[in-house]
Amino acid sequence: MNDVLLLARTHILTALRERVTLFWFLVFPVFLLVILSLIFGQIGQQGEITFDVSLVNFDASTTSVFSGMIEGVFENLAQSDTADEEPLFALRHPEADEDLASFLAAELTAVRRGRRAAVIVIPEGFGHEIERRVVSSGAPGGSSSTDDLPLTLYYSEGNAASNMAVSIIKQVLAGVNREILARSGRFDRTIAIEASSTWVGSESGGTVYVDFLLPGIILMGFFTNSLFGIPGAILFSRDQRVLRRYWVTPLSVPRYLGGLSIGHLALCALQFGILLVVGRFGLGSTVSFASLSAALHLLLAAATFMAFGFLIASLAQTANAGMAVANILNMPMMFLSGLFFPITGLPVFIRAIVYVNPVTYLADGLRAAVGVESGVFPTALVIAVPLGWIALSTGVASWRLRWDVAR
Amino acid sequence: MGDSTLMRVTDLTKHYGDVRAVDGVSFAVPNAAVFTLLGPNGAGKTTTLEILEGIREADAGEIEIFGARLRHVDRATKQRMGVLLQEGNFEPYLKAREVITLFASFFRNARPVDEMLERVALTEKANTYVKHLSGGQKQRLAIGAALVNSPELVFLDEPTTGLDPQARRNVWSVVADLKSTGVAIVLTTHYMEEAEALSDLVCIMDNGKLIAEGSPRELAARLNQETIIEFAADGVQDDDLVPLHACCAAVRSGEDLVSVETENLVATMGSLLEWSKERDLPLANMTVRQPNLEDVFLSLTGRRLRE
Repeated sequence: MNDVLLLARTHILTALRERVTLFWFLVFPVFLLVILSLIFGQIGQQGEITFDVSLVNFDASTTSVFSGMIEGVFENLAQSDTADEEPLFALRHPEADEDLASFLAAELTAVRRGRRAAVIVIPEGFGHEIERRVVSSGAPGGSSSTDDLPLTLYYSEGNAASNMAVSIIKQVLAGVNREILARSGRFDRTIAIEASSTWVGSESGGTVYVDFLLPGIILMGFFTNSLFGIPGAILFSRDQRVLRRYWVTPLSVPRYLGGLSIGHLALCALQFGILLVVGRFGLGSTVSFASLSAALHLLLAAATFMAFGFLIASLAQTANAGMAVANILNMPMMFLSGLFFPITGLPVFIRAIVYVNPVTYLADGLRAAVGVESGVFPTALVIAVPLGWIALSTGVASWRLRWDVAR
Repeated sequence: MGDSTLMRVTDLTKHYGDVRAVDGVSFAVPNAAVFTLLGPNGAGKTTTLEILEGIREADAGEIEIFGARLRHVDRATKQRMGVLLQEGNFEPYLKAREVITLFASFFRNARPVDEMLERVALTEKANTYVKHLSGGQKQRLAIGAALVNSPELVFLDEPTTGLDPQARRNVWSVVADLKSTGVAIVLTTHYMEEAEALSDLVCIMDNGKLIAEGSPRELAARLNQETIIEFAADGVQDDDLVPLHACCAAVRSGEDLVSVETENLVATMGSLLEWSKERDLPLANMTVRQPNLEDVFLSLTGRRLRE
């Protein structure tokens, strides 16, 4: 076997024989795939999750029907249709003789502490205000937005369940809004444009969470494998003076890099194969990677992350510093990319990170290529941004990377 | 370059900032000989070797190896060289056989892997991970990797540092074997006895410069001393030594040893015994020996090799 292939074999063998590497390389991605699928795979299946929501009606004594209608809608949603199904909401009301203001204060504290998903407040005069709007010229007919309803929703921004509950409540209110408009004659149901979003898998009708997740986990595997594996291989070998032994032989740096790269890509392929088998046969994923587009996206991802590994290796003085840099970049780059969760409603400064992050485009491109999402970014951008990172990383690395210990 | 010279180095210079690690060093390495760079730590031996091994660039100077003048040691030259680094490791999770196989792949004319394993007595450890080998076994593996291409010129940088006596003797026998097959060896060491036992030619280095060159016997002969008497310095004060200056060529007192150099052993012994009786000093652990490279270094620099 020639030197490049033997160096590739060396990289593979040392990665697979070291338990710590093996854990992060294989066990952790598989573990994450299984855990996330089991936890979040249930979301969206009706009745599996119940949100704790409070409703305070300051407008109960009014003669208007609207306040009671809103309350009725949510009470309806708090009841299950069948015995074995949990309702969407667990609705809390103040006791008959309880002071509404102090009940509200207590519930707001509960939201802040994460014990309640949201609080819906119907303010005093709500019913009459709606009546006024429906009858008067300033009717809500111009828009079906829930913002026009003077209802107040309290929720906790940092709480996923809270965010989810609020978006469901808003959808419910939008439905109510439309109903009001229809009944008041300002909304013609027959000409309304109905929009619905449905995930479409490549083979089955609805995409399950594992199909959304699997491409993300595969990319995560490639990413951590490169982020730690490449600088680890180069810097530890350099600092431990393993590389020195190579440089006193006729072996050249390009041939060493060739071996390392082939070994690394082979490890990525192995990782991909194992995750695919676990996803398909263990978790029922139906997503198919058997297309040229998917293969090219996977290769682009592996190459981008590998170049990124070289960049990190060139920025760190020592192996330990390299691992620290990799650690610092690992979590933000993975989570601010839509790898595990769709990126929606993020603050602007975080979105800026998302948009320079190559993982974002690779995740988007791969999901589009395998058909679990339609893809947010144009194909040219999905290819151009990672290629830009490859150029930048290899440029910096070839300029800065030292191949021998500093004297 | 004459037929018998394999490598010639002229005015080799290497700076690290203001430090002149190698300062205008010139020497020639003959065929089938052991050429030793001897000197204390930091003398510039390793830097000199690293330049000749091709892992550092010299700031100035000329290198001529296998008849070719080089600014930098190239890959074609490395095909014919073998290098045992002072500090070097292998991938800890490779097996001994895999290491030799890998290194064999770097060379055009490598020996069979099994032959190399047998030569360094690691056949039984062929399937053991590097991390599980002992210090001596790792050194033998390194020698195996360094010799896998049957080199014509071998660099051994401090090959026995940190090894136990048995492992050290194994290395010595490898050096003797190589020499007997016509291989030229460039050795660095700070062990005087190693240089004496193995070398045909010794260059003594200090502070980046060559300060003496010759065979061990020639170098020792330059001292014009015939005998050195040493004894333990327990209880000996500096004042006690004053009377001895009258009878002996040189008297030095180290931390634990008094050393007396003389051309007239019989007379000096008589004086010493008298001195000992007068001052009630025991002359404990007294030895009488010929001068060695350590004494050469001491007389040239005023310091011991391992200070």
